[in-house]
Amino acid sequence: MDSDYSFSLTTFSPSGKLVQIEHALQAAASGGSAIGIKAKNGVVLVTEKKLHSLVDVSSVQKISMITENIGVVYAGMGPDSRVLIKKARKEAEKYYKQYKEMIPVLQLVRELASIMQEYTQSGGVRPFGVSLLVSGFDEKGPHLYQVDPSGSYFAWKATAIGKNMINSKTFLEKRYNDDLEIDDAIQTALITLKEGFETQLTEFNMELAVVSSKNQKFEILTPSQIKDYLSNL
Amino acid sequence: MSIMAYNGGACIVMTGKNCVAIASDLRFGIQQQTISNDYPKVYRVNDKCFIGISGLVTDAQTLHQKIVFRHNLYKLREERDMSPKVVTNLIANMLYEKRFGPYFTEPLICGLEGPDNTPYISGMDLIGAQVQTDDFLVVGTMTPAMYGVCETLYKKDMNEDELFETISQCMLASLERDALSGWGAVVNIITPTKLITKKLIGRQD
Amino acid sequence: MINIDFDSLEQPTLFDSLASDVKYLDKPHFDLPPNSNPGDFLRETFAHPNAPKPLEFAHGTTTLAFVYSGGIVVAVDSKSTQGPYVASRSVKKVIEITPTLLGTMAGGAADCSFWERELGRRCRLYELRNKELISVAAASKILANIVYSYKGYGLSMGTMITGWDKTGPQLYYVDNDGTRLHGQRFSCGSGSTYAYGVLDSGFKWEMNDEEAYELGRRAVYHATHRDSYSGGAINVYHVQRNGWKKISSDDCFELYKKYYNIAPINKPTN
Repeated sequence: MDSDYSFSLTTFSPSGKLVQIEHALQAAASGGSAIGIKAKNGVVLVTEKKLHSLVDVSSVQKISMITENIGVVYAGMGPDSRVLIKKARKEAEKYYKQYKEMIPVLQLVRELASIMQEYTQSGGVRPFGVSLLVSGFDEKGPHLYQVDPSGSYFAWKATAIGKNMINSKTFLEKRYNDDLEIDDAIQTALITLKEGFETQLTEFNMELAVVSSKNQKFEILTPSQIKDYLSNL
Repeated sequence: MSIMAYNGGACIVMTGKNCVAIASDLRFGIQQQTISNDYPKVYRVNDKCFIGISGLVTDAQTLHQKIVFRHNLYKLREERDMSPKVVTNLIANMLYEKRFGPYFTEPLICGLEGPDNTPYISGMDLIGAQVQTDDFLVVGTMTPAMYGVCETLYKKDMNEDELFETISQCMLASLERDALSGWGAVVNIITPTKLITKKLIGRQD
Repeated sequence: MINIDFDSLEQPTLFDSLASDVKYLDKPHFDLPPNSNPGDFLRETFAHPNAPKPLEFAHGTTTLAFVYSGGIVVAVDSKSTQGPYVASRSVKKVIEITPTLLGTMAGGAADCSFWERELGRRCRLYELRNKELISVAAASKILANIVYSYKGYGLSMGTMITGWDKTGPQLYYVDNDGTRLHGQRFSCGSGSTYAYGVLDSGFKWEMNDEEAYELGRRAVYHATHRDSYSGGAINVYHVQRNGWKKISSDDCFELYKKYYNIAPINKPTN
């Protein structure tokens, strides 16, 4: 049985799996949905933020800024994501200190992926229970990457992570085209999110962030800005 | 005698209109004894960035090797060349790492920056204090003489031929006043489309 | 009533100035620093961590002289440096002591030129008093005695005294330690080792004058190439039976172009 081999993170099962990683992927896949779409001139990230009605929503943040032009959203375990965000910000600053130039998105993704991989092979640790969507704008234009607990990463035109990812990706496949402008991408992202949403989508139970060629800055939208987009759906 | 003047040497960088130039002398000596008269102190980092390293030659060689090493890794990782500005910051950091046991070198960096190929020159002291100017920079064993001629001959917005002529004259003229540099010079001109390298004959005494 | 001191306006009497002239005629007189050993004093003073940098005198040099069948050839460079700074490329390092005596300059330029000029004055006085020219042996001995009397005071000289006297062509080496050597070939200064290499390997007793000049010139030329503190032009003198003669003065760069057949303009090589 594969589960007989789950006592040690670094031991392969006879069938060639590392079961702990699969569990971590499972943890990430059951987190709140997050969707990312890369348009011609920018990237949009949206995520659901379902909280107990008594929690102050403004104290919870699922989308985070790493540098001026890079941000991430996670699906999975919130505390694990904070560790990764802290490390990502530190890597970005190290790069800037070394070269006095902003870190390119791919370089940050690689650093993150290699940290996540390290936690699948080291003793005394467990893998991160999160998947990340990393979006940003650099010299080469807009980027959207997904990084998984195993340490693998992919560049996407549009993708989803978390609970509804299968359905959302199917939905995105139908809706996506290569000529998408950023405003269309925001619309598509919201519709996709709404599609798998069990209750009414409001500016308080979701987050939205955009980075576009306009100023190449990663911007997390305020509830009132989100409200404008929702009213246009 | 200062360790910075142990081997002798001189290096100038200069900007022109859409071009930059870097020149060094050719002498390699041990104090007063000339060992070689074909030893350029200019190194190519990539087609748009050259560096000149004056000072103790053993340290200059080591530093150059470390820069090449870092640049090669950067190219593999990022699939692009380092820009002169990035090279400058990298070297400054490498030098400050050795704050309490420095490399006895003063590097100059020159090149074309960004998609617009903006001329860029910079230099630093042996522990990485950077300086950026928009005209020229000099390092070596006879900087007072070098500053003198550069200050006199430099004009803004020279084309590549004028720049070559000016930097050559500056180099040859200032070498005349330096016992520890000279024996000829090498001049490199960097333009967006081509690299020009020429050797100049100088006095052999 | 106001007292005004007019003493400073008084002219020295004729006698006063004559007396002081006569005093200086006898031998040079220097104010000495108020301690017993100025050499040690300077060393200690400049060894102090807060001391200013010691005076840097013109130092680098290549000079040589050799005796051959046709007399003596003296060849010298003409570069003067202060540390790495090239102060001049046209220094006269052959000092024309008298019409029959030559000296060379290495070490402190001021020391060499002053004391060899003083030597010239004494040789002339000798000639007037004795109605014959001084021998090279005697002249070099005067210089050696002078520098010996200042030993420890920090004089810096390495010089060759040459001339042709009753005993034929003579060559002496005198330095600030008081060393005085008679010999056939000498070279002096920072480039001397390089010059010796060429000179010793190329020397023959029997040479015609042109060969001898070229040997001296080449020896100094190669020294200027290797020694960064030597260079400029190469001056060649020939000491003959009836006095010395200046033969040539060639810029090192011109010699380089001649020896290696280099085109006169800067031609790009690649």
